[in-house]
Amino acid sequence: MTGFSISRLCGVLSAVVVVLCARAALGQAAGSAAIPVNPYPSTYKPLPASDTFISGVTILDGLGNRVENGAILLQHGKIAAVGTSLQAPAGVVVIEGNGRWVTPGIIDVHSHLGDFAAPLTPADLKVSDVNEATDPNTAQVWALHSITVQDPQFSRVRAGGVTTLQILPGSRNLFGGRGVVLKNVPAVTVQAMEFPDARPSLKMACGENPKYTYGEMGRFPSSLMGNVAGYREAWVKAREYQRKWDAYNSKHDPSAEPPVRDLKLETLAAVLRGEILVDVHCYRADEMVIMIDVAREFGFRIAAFHHATEAYKIAGLLAQNGVCAAVWADWWGYKMEAYDAVRANAAFVDAAGGCVMLHSDIPMSGEHLTLDAATALGSGRRAGLTITEERAIEWLTRNPARSLGLDDRIGTLEAGKNADVVLWSGDPFSVYTKADMVFIDGAVVYDRHDATKHPQSDFEAGQPSLGVRP
Amino acid sequence: MKKFLATAVLVWTLQFAFAAEPETIAIVGAKAYITPGIEPTVNATIIIRGGRVEAAGSGLPIPAGAQVIHADGKIVTPGLMNSGTELGLVESGSDDTTDRAVSSGPIGAAFDVQYALNPNSTLFPLARADGLTRAVTLPSASAGAPFTGLGAVLRLSEGAEILDRPRAAMFAVTGGMAASQVRGSRSAQWILLRNALDETLRYVKLGPAERAEPGRNQLLNRMNLEALVPVVEGKVPLAITAFRESDIRQGIKLAEDYKLRVVICGADEGWRVADLLAAHKIPVVLNPFADIPATFDQIGARADNAALLARAGVVISFSVPGVHYSHNAGLVVREAAGIAVANGLTWNQALKAVTVNPAATWDISNHYGTLEPGRDADLVIWDGDPFEPVSAPEVVFVRGKRVSLQTRQIELQERYSPQHANDPWPPAYR
Repeated sequence: MTGFSISRLCGVLSAVVVVLCARAALGQAAGSAAIPVNPYPSTYKPLPASDTFISGVTILDGLGNRVENGAILLQHGKIAAVGTSLQAPAGVVVIEGNGRWVTPGIIDVHSHLGDFAAPLTPADLKVSDVNEATDPNTAQVWALHSITVQDPQFSRVRAGGVTTLQILPGSRNLFGGRGVVLKNVPAVTVQAMEFPDARPSLKMACGENPKYTYGEMGRFPSSLMGNVAGYREAWVKAREYQRKWDAYNSKHDPSAEPPVRDLKLETLAAVLRGEILVDVHCYRADEMVIMIDVAREFGFRIAAFHHATEAYKIAGLLAQNGVCAAVWADWWGYKMEAYDAVRANAAFVDAAGGCVMLHSDIPMSGEHLTLDAATALGSGRRAGLTITEERAIEWLTRNPARSLGLDDRIGTLEAGKNADVVLWSGDPFSVYTKADMVFIDGAVVYDRHDATKHPQSDFEAGQPSLGVRP
Repeated sequence: MKKFLATAVLVWTLQFAFAAEPETIAIVGAKAYITPGIEPTVNATIIIRGGRVEAAGSGLPIPAGAQVIHADGKIVTPGLMNSGTELGLVESGSDDTTDRAVSSGPIGAAFDVQYALNPNSTLFPLARADGLTRAVTLPSASAGAPFTGLGAVLRLSEGAEILDRPRAAMFAVTGGMAASQVRGSRSAQWILLRNALDETLRYVKLGPAERAEPGRNQLLNRMNLEALVPVVEGKVPLAITAFRESDIRQGIKLAEDYKLRVVICGADEGWRVADLLAAHKIPVVLNPFADIPATFDQIGARADNAALLARAGVVISFSVPGVHYSHNAGLVVREAAGIAVANGLTWNQALKAVTVNPAATWDISNHYGTLEPGRDADLVIWDGDPFEPVSAPEVVFVRGKRVSLQTRQIELQERYSPQHANDPWPPAYR
């Protein structure tokens, strides 16, 4: 959210503050011989898993269906079957649901975990790993390179059912850099968390954050119109860069001198080639529609507007343009561009046929994304819409999978999809419900009732404050 | 002009007549939590007259002429209270609408937020619509760290009269993240607190003439000393933000040494000293969402802090810093209660933590906190469980007056409702 007004958002009781506020470029670089394929490739390996059969559960499958007294079979790390008349095959682990609920694993498309790791220190308030706030265009930086894998917050949000995270750079720059999609598994290297073959993204930002960050330094941009000029100038350069590489590649001449690589333009050119999706931090309706026009002018695709507090004002336009909206249920008013936020935002976007998703931005929200969905659901119903739980769960599962371009692998409970599954103690939209078990690729990565499945970060190891009360 | 005035007066009188509350209101058929902490009364009747609860219980006769509101078995609770917000002090985050702090000049402990309160802030209707009827609003910084200044208790009535108790408590912030304000060490925070109390204790012994000119070697000026007099006299509490166990223990020691009333705010590691806090009868204001080692002071943060403290007998209430601190002061305190229940607090204890407990902590128990006869009639009829985010109030009373549940957000929603999708006229005409 904000990149600069930390203190403004900080309650007096808060020792920490609200977090400051694009996917790893795997640079397939078709034909760009000099540009390497992702130099930091995923080394993710699923954790050991047993085939598992969960029966007697209410299933929200992420496809809009609700299966009462259903069962789900997880085999070889994939979902094998979902239904009401399944039998447990011999030799699988059987879990009696006893009326509990099952949903797909939650996908958080906007997180700063690892980039804004706990514990936060006063130094992080001055300079943090979430923003390279030294130039309005830092398309060359990768959030991947900022991630502290020992951030204890990964485990907190896993216990809230989050199985996939998109970690984004902050919003202080017009072009903040590349984001990365992670599997929410404890690991010693970030490569071991990287979601294999996920398409990269580029984070852009509209509005107050870039203009105040640079305007207050007496630099460009210092206005909304400056922001837009900044985007356009960069895309003009990116096109030119792409043209040079196209010309070089079309010669097929190994002796020809390749153009000089420019990491910033490399990212933008990959966007123009459709290899990187664009995620835009943008609150206001008028600015979002300007950005849709910028994208059309230069021929790239926006995957989603993030924060999008005014998405409800242009719900039909977002749907027509196939742009998702990543929103909070109820954040508002902490700055001018968030002043018109309403709680029925998500429901209105959904009602217009758009792709809406709830995102976290801060760990407190990341742990409780189902509560955000519940607030959005209740507010939509009170605004007169008919919304079912089986529909609302899509805001946390199927839609973010779509936005990330990973809907062929995650986001729904269908045979063949990755076995990213949450077994909830009850209705996931209730504040009293907790994730009992979380599966990623069929492995139990969290079990509320089994202390051996409560992974602890290295930071927390051996801390007397966490010990038994004297 | 005269004619205009006469018309205006007439209109005003008529509006007043129409808007006037019926003298007596009877809420019937309620599942009423008359005294939070004990089981509800089913099929309860609550009689409201003159802004107060006149009677509450089952099988009460409905007074003649009373306006009857049918609760239809729904939950009725006292209006809720948030123990830490900046309601009335903030609007949009813009500096000109933000009155939470002073950063330099002579005002330290004497910083008092009561003069900045804006009853027309759009945050109030939303907080009311979320079931909040009382709140502590407090300063975030003064020029006299570690003191941040004097906070107030608000009643969320419609109209200008929102001040329930000005100067309800003196606030101070300790801990590592605030240490830079005292040049680096948290030890300085405690030294400065102790010095301020020592200076105030000397000051109260002075005669009026001597008080006019405090001594030369005083760090505190007369204004700041005056503000601390009620603290050393035990009339108002010193509310100390402290997260780390060591700081919480220093706060307890301070209460002991100076015979102060201390409230600990934050208290992420409070569970580690739960018995000591209980023994000293020190109330705690905590954030049930705080289960992250967000800073080095909060390494011991855990989700069942509220449950462990309550089990030890500590009087707990809630405040949730961050983005919802003031802007969602009502919704977030309900969710906080729900989260605390999900982590081991009983539901009845959670209801106490958003009603009678803050009432006791901030000294307004004589008129708020329960639906017992004589208390201000702050109450909410809920469409479900008040701690569930899908739920919402259906009816809210503040001091016996039924308040509007309309908010700026709902007006915006009505403008942009999907039903207007094909309206050729812009929303500005709706």
